[in-house]
Amino acid sequence: MSIALFLSILLVAACGLIYELIAGTVASYLVGDSVFQFSTVIGTYLFAMGIGSFLSRFVRGNLARLFVRIEILIAVVGGFSSSVLFMAFAFTQGFQFLLYLIVLVVGTLVGLEIPLLMRLVKDRYQFRDAVSHVLTFDYLGALFASVLFPLVLVPRLGLIRSALFFGIVNAAVALWSTRLFAEQIVRPRRLQAACVAAIVVLSAAFAGGSRINAFAEDNIYADDIILSRDTPYQHIVLTRWKDDLRLFLNSHLQFSSRDEYRYHEALVHPGLAAVPSPRRVLVLGGGDGLAVREILKYPEIERIVLVDLDPEMTRLFSANPLLTRLNDRSLLSPKVQVINADAFLWVDSAPDVFDFIVVDLPDPTNYSLGKLYTTVFFSALGHHLRERGAFVVQSTSPMFARKSFWCIDETIKQAGYRTFPYHAYVPSFGEWGFVMASRADYTPPTVFPPGLRFLAAATLPNLFDFPPDMARVSMPANHLNDQVLVRTLEAEWREISR
Amino acid sequence: MARDQPLTPTRREFCVASAAALVGLSIKGDRPLAGGFVNDDMPIGHALRARAAVGAAATTVRIPIVVVGGGMAGLSAAWRLQKRGFDRFVVLELSPQAGGNSRSGQNETTGYPWGAHYVPIPDERATYVRELFAELGVLKADGTWDERHLCMAQQERLFIHGRWQEGIEPAVGLTADDRDQFRRFGDVTAALRASRRFTVPLDNGLSSEDASLDRLSFAAWLAEQRFDSKPLLWYADYACRDDYGALASGVSAWAGLHYFSSRDNDEKGPLTWPEGNGWIVKRLLERVGRFVRPGQPVRAIRRDRSEFRVRAGETDYVCDAVIFAAPTFLAPYIIEGPPPLSRCEYSPWMTANLTLETIPDLDRGEPAWDNVIMSSPALGYVDAMHQSLRSVAGKTVWTFYWALAEMEPSAGRSFLAAKDWAYWKEAILTDLERVHPRIRACVSRLDVMRIGHAMVRPTVGAVFSAQRQALKRSQDRLIFAHSDVSGLSLFEEAQFRGVTAADRVLRLIA
Repeated sequence: MSIALFLSILLVAACGLIYELIAGTVASYLVGDSVFQFSTVIGTYLFAMGIGSFLSRFVRGNLARLFVRIEILIAVVGGFSSSVLFMAFAFTQGFQFLLYLIVLVVGTLVGLEIPLLMRLVKDRYQFRDAVSHVLTFDYLGALFASVLFPLVLVPRLGLIRSALFFGIVNAAVALWSTRLFAEQIVRPRRLQAACVAAIVVLSAAFAGGSRINAFAEDNIYADDIILSRDTPYQHIVLTRWKDDLRLFLNSHLQFSSRDEYRYHEALVHPGLAAVPSPRRVLVLGGGDGLAVREILKYPEIERIVLVDLDPEMTRLFSANPLLTRLNDRSLLSPKVQVINADAFLWVDSAPDVFDFIVVDLPDPTNYSLGKLYTTVFFSALGHHLRERGAFVVQSTSPMFARKSFWCIDETIKQAGYRTFPYHAYVPSFGEWGFVMASRADYTPPTVFPPGLRFLAAATLPNLFDFPPDMARVSMPANHLNDQVLVRTLEAEWREISR
Repeated sequence: MARDQPLTPTRREFCVASAAALVGLSIKGDRPLAGGFVNDDMPIGHALRARAAVGAAATTVRIPIVVVGGGMAGLSAAWRLQKRGFDRFVVLELSPQAGGNSRSGQNETTGYPWGAHYVPIPDERATYVRELFAELGVLKADGTWDERHLCMAQQERLFIHGRWQEGIEPAVGLTADDRDQFRRFGDVTAALRASRRFTVPLDNGLSSEDASLDRLSFAAWLAEQRFDSKPLLWYADYACRDDYGALASGVSAWAGLHYFSSRDNDEKGPLTWPEGNGWIVKRLLERVGRFVRPGQPVRAIRRDRSEFRVRAGETDYVCDAVIFAAPTFLAPYIIEGPPPLSRCEYSPWMTANLTLETIPDLDRGEPAWDNVIMSSPALGYVDAMHQSLRSVAGKTVWTFYWALAEMEPSAGRSFLAAKDWAYWKEAILTDLERVHPRIRACVSRLDVMRIGHAMVRPTVGAVFSAQRQALKRSQDRLIFAHSDVSGLSLFEEAQFRGVTAADRVLRLIA
């Protein structure tokens, strides 16, 4: 009997602390500033417990019955606390208000528990034993909860289901209490039915917990995440903040609509404007259609082949109105042929020849992607290049990854080309680098298509000028069998993010 | 319905179920797994051993040369004969598929090896290997190697102390003494390498100067040289298991040192292909496939005055010379007279190919080409799609190698024959679970190949044995051409034996 009683106290205490931790964590997640959130949540909670203790003096009548009712109430309010908070953040402006309201309610109810319990057991034990036992298990429960919360609950269950789970535990303790205090509760049926109802409702919500989560999260980012899609190849996320549209692939920023014109103008025009009468252009990667948009500014171009691995990516940028506005419906142009294939495999097997090739592939952050920056790849690219044609390769940042940039330059050289490295400043990326290459010489263009915002013939030479902190360093070429570039890039980014 | 069955679950069941439910874990089902034994030559081999009586031949074919065995030695002999303008010969192969230890398989994703899966960069003196690779475009006219055939990065990794390190030589968690011993061992092998007496093929450098190394085991030599570092001894054992299917105690010191001293620590190599050396087999078959008769086990070879009668099926091939390019242990069951090599030990192996729908644990690093687990009794796995040019990891085949090195060879063979597919499947998946806890959810097919006599063991005294040296010099028109004659089961040895046998046979029948 007494063990069951003290176990209930332990569980009740654990539940109370869990709700408090969840409130603090949810607030930190959603609003940020975890020091502030935790301080105010804990402060409010303790204060509310004081209110509860104070109020307990006014409580008269059947204490056991009241205790069970309070437990049911805590179970429901606490159990749904994180769901309600997520929803509130997603759908209302009243998150802060609701947060402190819930903390106040739960705190007050929990504050009532201990005094009530002490009064309930005062006839069974001497006063000093009752105080000692109840508080001991109360604090033990707190320890239990505080260890369980970060190690098991958050990683395994997540915040919504953790709260619901402890709501169920709380309601179960309430049900159990009707037996513990059977002498004081004359007709327990209705009370027990209420307990069971709470358990059923909480369990149902627990079973559907992940859906609640998704439902709430979708709406939390309603203003921010426009789109989030998992394809077999990558995780595509599109965010918007005011007029800034940003694309993330596997959480790497691909572009920001505010300054992507700088990147894509720099990627395409220094090379393409210099190619005499270009008719056919190949784009490897660049499924966002932004490079294609720039290429379409040359009316003499008859055909653009875009090879991008991910059909979902090219479909999005052909269909989504927000995105087609950004790329001027470039992928829907009759001149454009979209092929969804792995770049290297396509380059290795297709017969087509082009005047200009844009290589806009992900940075070589692993050995699989690193293959796209090897002597073998650039040699194979040559089979698709008209004799006087040129190609350009996005080549990571010569500022943050200086050795990597010059390694790409050296690799293209050893594959048998003359290289013309240059760079441009793109605010959301920083200094970004490109390597243009051809078998012939390069004469900078004097005329660009109309309507460019960044490039101009007069300032073009600046792009080819590397200040000392980005100047050439001697690097070996990147071969398939050593992939020095992957190691170098990894080391350089590790250095930056330290 | 049985009345006495309790309707309530047992307490144990209840606890397990509620624990699982409470933690919110649903127990994930494994992928259904297909597979079985493949390329099982055991029944044919046992039939040969039974020496069933050979009746009268239904047909007789007259042909100057018969090559017995369509493995790398036999195919290389055929390649040489054809290159020298000789086409009146036939290659008789026991299995339905030629290639021997270099056989390969193919599924809708990739080709994959069943045995040998790479060739180290051959040195200048390995002329026949270089000649073949030049012909196949692997060695370019300017003397460089086509990078597509060089093993791509990352070549090798070792799972040690709970994480992957690059390279197979242990480098993590070494004591100062371990490092010292690795350095000392490196000095010894560097000196032997510089002597140019440890070569592949071995006949290019074999010198009686080193005969003393053939008279003690590698393990004994290591002890004698006061090498006792655990990581170093593991590495030595691993090398012997990998190349010879035996432990360091099961091979001679000469053979153990040959592994480490015969090749340049050249960062370029090795040469490899998705289907392993099966790629070379395919290229050779494109050239000499018309001479090859698969599924034709040779039952008997009889001398008939100056001729030989080679019986396969119902046909007697009457010929002037025989190139015996089958494993030498088969000779006593087929050829009349005393065996050419009286003591030859063979290592039993098990190879498996696992079809993977997804790659497990990519977040802990992309698979290398060769992936070794230090605490495993097996040799690790090789990723067939490693040489693919694709830029995103996906479906692949892993070839899992397991030399039964710890057992006596005959005990290993009985063990191989006794255990069923389910046993090997469990053994393999359990072994891989050490490093890939999710492996069972990724594998859709697991095929197992058992090879009782997978490779000859260079035991103490084997390589320098008088019998073996005499066999190399023999002027008989029955020429032994298997890599067993060299004593090392390597592609280069098989090719060298095949090519030189072809040259000799043309001289003898001229």
